[in-house]
Order: sequence, then structure tokens, then C-alpha cells
Amino acid sequence: MRLAVVAGLFATAASAAEPIIPTFVEETDYSNVRSSYDGGWEYMVGGGVAAFDCSGDGFPDLGFAGGTSRASLWRNISAQGGPLRFEPVASGIELEAVTGAYPLDVDGDGVQDLVLLRQGESVLMRGLGECRFEPANELWRFEAPNAWTSAFAATWERGQNWPTLALGTYIDPEEEFFPWGSCTDNLLFRPEGQTFGEPLPLRPSFCALSMMFTDWDRSGTPSLRIANDREYYKGGQEQLWRVLPEGEPAPFTQAEGWSPLRIWGMGIASRDIDLDGYPEYALSSMADNKLQTLATVLPADAPLRPEYIDVAYPRGAIAQRPYTGGDVRPSTAWHLEFADVNNDARPDLFIAKGNVAEMPDFAARDPNNLLLLREDGTFLEVGSEAGVASMAVSRGATLADFNLDGLPDLAVTNRGENAQLWRNTTREAGHWIQIRLEQPGANRDGVGAWIEVRLADGIHSREVTVGGGQAGGSMGWWHMGLAEAASAEVRVLWPDGTEGPWERLSANGFYVLARGGPARVWAPH
Amino acid sequence: MDTVRGIVALVVGLLMGGQAMARPSPDDVLHTNTRLVLELVRHTPSYSPPVASRAFAYLYITAFEAVAGGSTKLRSLQGQLNGLSGLPQRRPGQDYDDAVVLQAALSAAMAELFFNTGPTGQRALDRMAEHLGADASEGVGAETADRSRALGQDLATHILEWAKKDGGHVVENMGFPLEYSLAKGPGAWTPTSRIVQQQLPLLPEWGSNRSFAMPDAAACPTPAPPAYSEEPGSRFMEEAIEVLETRRRLTDEQRTVARFWSDDPMLSPTPPGHWISIAQQVLDAEDADEERRAEVLAKLSIAMADAFIGCWHEKFRFNLIRPVTYIRAHLDPGFEPMLITPPFPEYPSGHSTQSAAAAVVLTDLFGEDYSFTDATHVDDGLPARSFSSFQEAALEAAESRLLGGIHFRSAVEQGLDQGRCIGAYASNLRTRH
Repeated sequence: MRLAVVAGLFATAASAAEPIIPTFVEETDYSNVRSSYDGGWEYMVGGGVAAFDCSGDGFPDLGFAGGTSRASLWRNISAQGGPLRFEPVASGIELEAVTGAYPLDVDGDGVQDLVLLRQGESVLMRGLGECRFEPANELWRFEAPNAWTSAFAATWERGQNWPTLALGTYIDPEEEFFPWGSCTDNLLFRPEGQTFGEPLPLRPSFCALSMMFTDWDRSGTPSLRIANDREYYKGGQEQLWRVLPEGEPAPFTQAEGWSPLRIWGMGIASRDIDLDGYPEYALSSMADNKLQTLATVLPADAPLRPEYIDVAYPRGAIAQRPYTGGDVRPSTAWHLEFADVNNDARPDLFIAKGNVAEMPDFAARDPNNLLLLREDGTFLEVGSEAGVASMAVSRGATLADFNLDGLPDLAVTNRGENAQLWRNTTREAGHWIQIRLEQPGANRDGVGAWIEVRLADGIHSREVTVGGGQAGGSMGWWHMGLAEAASAEVRVLWPDGTEGPWERLSANGFYVLARGGPARVWAPH
Repeated sequence: MDTVRGIVALVVGLLMGGQAMARPSPDDVLHTNTRLVLELVRHTPSYSPPVASRAFAYLYITAFEAVAGGSTKLRSLQGQLNGLSGLPQRRPGQDYDDAVVLQAALSAAMAELFFNTGPTGQRALDRMAEHLGADASEGVGAETADRSRALGQDLATHILEWAKKDGGHVVENMGFPLEYSLAKGPGAWTPTSRIVQQQLPLLPEWGSNRSFAMPDAAACPTPAPPAYSEEPGSRFMEEAIEVLETRRRLTDEQRTVARFWSDDPMLSPTPPGHWISIAQQVLDAEDADEERRAEVLAKLSIAMADAFIGCWHEKFRFNLIRPVTYIRAHLDPGFEPMLITPPFPEYPSGHSTQSAAAAVVLTDLFGEDYSFTDATHVDDGLPARSFSSFQEAALEAAESRLLGGIHFRSAVEQGLDQGRCIGAYASNLRTRH
């Protein structure tokens, strides 16, 4: 009854069938996007980008953090299947000191709002439609601290019609001489009616650089996973917080199975890549990156322990140093995200790379990674062949289908340089499906739901999360590759545990899965 | 201007422990820079324990010479340390300010030794140099201040030039070679981690570095470790069984001891930094002046730097397998040491060698039964521990590696012996007239 997942059981890379090598064409110039993440020491981390549809046309628009430059919003005016093209929008988000951006429909009005993380007071921007926003901290009683805000996550706790927000903070910027050990409090904002109550400090806090509410054990209640930067904490480690609707949050302990891990935690990405129903977690760091999987998966009626083993090395997901360009020093990894870029029904892993700030022990020319998941469970680096091996000093990223052709495209932010956009032009890619969730009332986008796609090799599942990455996230179409399948059975497990029906949907289409109704085919106007 | 001075004085006062002060004394300068260097060692990724020990040695030799130049009691180390000569001197009949000389020397040395620290370390270095430098010059005549700064910088430059020729100046890839042929065969060290860099051993050439006070890296050899054997009843297997059984029966106190001395790179000030921290605490408790501070820190850091050179020389002479590798292969496949196994050969134990060397020096300077309390790791959540002597602390540090499951008994005991031998060379340096 007990399935032990042991790293050594994974097949070697040499025996793997080679996947389709994707191709990306850089279209930064044509795209018209002009945004760089600027600033000195206070902006060495952050630089996130948000992908979401603020115009209502179904195409993902982009919101960029700018650091000492102003944040900016870019409306997607690409044609379906065409080159990537955006136009600037005077949206109201043009604030300075923005470090990150996450879309979230806070008030459930069907219009995406935008959370702007800042060096200073973070701001909830209420979406007004047509890509216009207004500050809503006062309206929603969001008492953000004057802090170096560096991470964000959101969930809807059971029974609530207003989200719970987690705000991660970094070091105290006023500590000029001895900033080490000065990690400021992470905060949990719980609902108080249609506003937020007084924030609850999540102590101990260890200089968070990424946060994600995730139902790691499929219990129906997400926990809060936090990636922490060991450069600044003392006595700290990576964290997983139990956040139950009743009572105060508490971090899982070693006695409960949580193994201390101390890395330069910079980003979190999750996806069930071994089809056991539980997500793996990719963690970005400096030098070796991590890929964690549960040490032991027990039967469904036994409680799981949050005990993870690192399988990055045997699976070839270390991405430890540049694979091209001749710089042999270790890498510095930031945003990372799973996306099936060749539609072979296996999620691939993109990692944005870039030196912190002229650290001579680490690579200066540090190409971004694109790691293809192979049939045997190992990863293959194809950043160069795919055309995304940028040597810019990267931070944030998003993989979204900007031109709605079924292939995830790529936007990457750079420190002190313009962001870059690539169009995915992979030929011979597999089939795909894209899903958008919709439920009435609060949590319209189904944050916390699981989308399941049944294919010949098993059930491919992905959790709808808000958070993770490096200071930026996305909301909208959830893309899944289907390989050769002409159709697939799809269902949704809604955040309250309700199981939607299996529906067979044709490949290569967009579908809105509304709670309680049949899937609706969607197409751009 | 007055406002700015006031803020600076307040900042330095805060650094010194909350008391506002107008001008730091030389011992304040040494104390405050030591606080900073203990953080920089922790937060500079290439600072593994051997590299850290080297930086401490050059930094505190610089401090010692800066202080000794203005002292009637202290005697220069040039001519006593291998290759150190021709140090810049104070010009007779001219005024120098001791605090300015010392701050300038330390600031220049730290900037060079920690050129590769991250942006936060660089920022702290800049701020410290700016503020402490300004405060040290407060009320000092411009000519004297300029002359003092120049001397301090010249001293640092001279010592750093000497440092460049020791074989340990360039550390690439965090100290892990890009190419290295691993020896094969029974008992040979093999990688123990799943970190890519650590598939080759840390700093295999460190044992070829120029030593400081001892004649050369081979001056204090260790006997060979017990002959490798997979035979039940053999001494080698018996020592492995001791590690395994100890792991299985660890008491809470033993876990505490193992954690207390673990001193992992990038999560602590490293093992040599731990002993520098102990010295700083003892010196603070004694309200030591700058001559005493400089003498203690120089001798201590020299002893530990030599200890790592001597230890590494032996580690790569014997290239011995780690307990985790042997025990998993022959005794218990599920064996998990309590501590992370370091990525280099086992014999002798570096903790043991450097701790014994440190204890020899500190015992010589403070006495046989000198009680002290060590609060190095309080900020990391590990309570302070008290010891009745430096020797007791060194023995505990050495034993902690067996408790942690990463060293055999022989590595601990022979490491201690090697450290005592190496420490004697540093202890015998003549630092006073």
C-alpha cells in the first residue's frame, strides 16, 4: 500500500526519449514593451511581472514592476497566432518603488485587481475595467506596512467570501551596518467582512522571497509555503505554515516531518510532474536549485507528513551553472515556472537567471534555463536551442499564451535593462487545451481549485495558485499540453471540495469551466 | 554639519552597544570591525573554513602591525612570519593617531579580502569605512589624520601584497576545482552530497599554501589513520561502528553539542570565526585595550590559518573515506549523520585541528583554567554554553564531529594532536618586547 518515491529509481538521462525541441523567436522590439527594473541595493530582489487580462478580450496583458522607474501596464493587441504586440496604457498603476505584481480579483466583481508589492507601502489596485485601476488600500482597509515587500500569496479560506493575503517582507533597509538578522515580519491579512482585518505577523519570519498557498497534501486546506533567503536570516529555514480557518497559523515542525532546508530561497513553482496527485516543488536559489517531492506517499486515509526529498540532481534539474557562454561560475536563479512549452503533456521548467549585483563569485553571463521534462522524468536543458538563453540580468518572468495560439510564450524582466518577450513558434508541437475557471460570488477564478486532465498515462493535475515565482504571477487561461490526444477528459475539483463532472473536450481549444454548468467553448472576437 | 556629526556619533554609539560617543578608541575600532568581519565571513559564499581562516590571519596581522607601530610594548611580527618583511614604519618625530591608522588599515584590508562579498556586504563595508573613518578622525588635525590614514593604507597594501604570494589568494568556484581526478580504490574519499560543485573535493591544493608561523604545511604530520578494512573486528570497522552506535543513541545534550559546533559555512561565522567570536567575547569581558586585542586576535588567527593548511595537507595525503559512505556500504544503508558531511576527505578532522590550535594560543594568553561563556550562536537560536577552559571547549568541538556522524575517532584524536603541535608555533611568536 505504501509507495516510496526514491530518487535513485529515476532512469538516467541517457536512456530518455528526446522531446520536441521548442523554438522561441524574440519579439521584444516589435512588441513595443519598454520596461526595465531599475534601482540600486533596495531593488536587488523583485522585478516581477504579472500576466492577466485587464481589457476583457481574453488576451493576457502585462503589468511590470519598475523599481525606481514607474510600474507600467501594457495592453495586449496581438492578433491570434500573430506576432506579439502591446501598447502602453495609462492605467493608474504607474507608481514608483514597485517590486512585484500579482493579479487577483479581490472583491469578486469579475474584474482583475492588481497587488503591487513595493519598497514601502504595498498597494491593492482595484480594477475598474478597460485596464484602469485605482488604489484601494483605504477602501479595503489594507494596512500594508512600510517595509521592503518581496513576496505575496493569496487564498480563500473555507467559508470566506473575501481572500486571505500573505505579504512577505525582506530585510530592514534602515539597517546600514548590520542588516543580517534584521528580517521583518511577514503578515497575514484575513477578511473582516468585505475588508481586511488587522494583519497577523507570521513569526518567525526569515526574509521571504516567494510565497505560495498550496494544498501540498490534498487535504482541502492549503498551507503557506515560504522560500526564505538564508543570506539574511539567523536561525531560519524554508517554511511551511499550517493555516487553518480556525486558530492562528503555525509553521510545521521537524517532529511533524518538515526537514530543515537552508538555501537562498528565491522562487517557488509547483506542479505534479510524476502524476501521483501531489505537487512537486521547484525552488530557485544560488548555485544548485531544488526539486522536491514527497518522501513517502501514503494511502489516502492516512495523514501525510511534509517530508520532502530533493531530486533535482538525479532528475537533471539542478541548473547550477551556465550551460553556454563560457562563464563557469555558479548561477543565480530567480523566477521559475512550469509550463508545457512543446505540448507533449509534460510540464517543462523555465528559470530566470541573473547576478544579484556584480557578485564576482557568481556568473555574470548567466543564461536563462529552459528545461524540458522527458518521458523518463529527467530534464533536458534546451535554452540555447530554443532561443531563450538571454544573458541579461533577469529577475521575473511569466509564461502565458500571449497570442492565443496554444503555445506558451515568454516575458522576462531584467534588472537595468529592457524586459524581453519571446513568441513560441514551435513546429510539430503537441495538442493543447486551455481552461479558465469561473464560479459565482467570491473567488470567481477558483483560486485553490485543481484542474485535472485525464490522458492515457494518467491524470495530469495542476493547482490554481496565486503566489510563487519571483515577485510576479498570472491569472487567466490555464494551459495544459495533451501530446497526441485529440481530446481529453477534464474536470475541476473546486476549492470547497466539490468535484466537477468529467467532460470530454476537444483538443486545441479554449474552454470556460463554470461551476455547475457544462464547459463553454471560447474564442477571441 | 553638527547634525551630521551627531548622527554619525549616534550611529557609532549604537554600533558600540548603545552608548553615544564622539570618537572611537582603537580598541573600539578593532571590536566594531571584528563584528563586521564575522558577518562578512558568513555571508561571502566563497568563505569556506580554510578561506575564512586565511582572511582572519591577514586581517589581524594587519591590525597587529598597525597597533604595534605605535606601541612601546608590542613587537612586530615581521621576520617571524614566513616571508613578512619590510613593513612601512611610522616616521620618527611625526604625529600619528592610533585609531585613524588602525581604521584605515582595517578598512583597506577588509575591502580587499572581501572584494567578492555581495551587495549588502559591500554596502556595509562602505558605510562602516565612511562613518567609523570619520569618527576616528574627529578632532584630529588634518595633517596628522592624512598621515595616519596613509600609513594604515600602506600597511594593508604591504600585507596584502605578501598575501598574494601564499598560494591561497585566488579561490574560484567557491573553492571547488573544475577538474580533479578522484582517487579510486577501497577507503578512498568519494563525494557525499548531491550538490554539483561538491562532486569534487574542496580546496585540494590548500595544503600547499605558505604557512604563517609554522615552518611549512608538513611541520606537524599526523600518523596514518587505521588501515582501511571491511573486516569485522578490524579497528577501522570498530571506529565506524562507534559512529553508527553513537548516532543511534544520541542524547539531547549530544545533539546540542553537535549543533553548537557545527559552524556550517554561510550559516555561521565558520569554525575559525567561532573561535574569533569566543576571543572577542573574552576580550570584551576583560575590557581589553587595543594592544591586548590585537595580540590575541593575531596569534589566534595565525594558529587557525596554519591549522587549516596543516590539516588539509594531511587530508589529501590520506584521502580517507567519510563515515557516511563506509557505514551505508557495510553497516547500515539507512545511516543518516546528524550533520551535513563536509565535501572533502575525512582524516584528520579540521574542527579538531583548528580548535586545539586555538586552545593552545588562548590558554597561553589567558591561562589554564580560564572560564568563559560562549554566546556566539544566540542570534541563531542556540543557547550560550559555558566552559571551564579553552581546552575543554576544544575537546568538545572535536568530539562534536563524531557525535555529528561525520568523523571517526582517530580523526578527532589525531586532529587534536596535530592542532596542539601547530598552535605551539603561533604561541611561540614574540609579540611583546
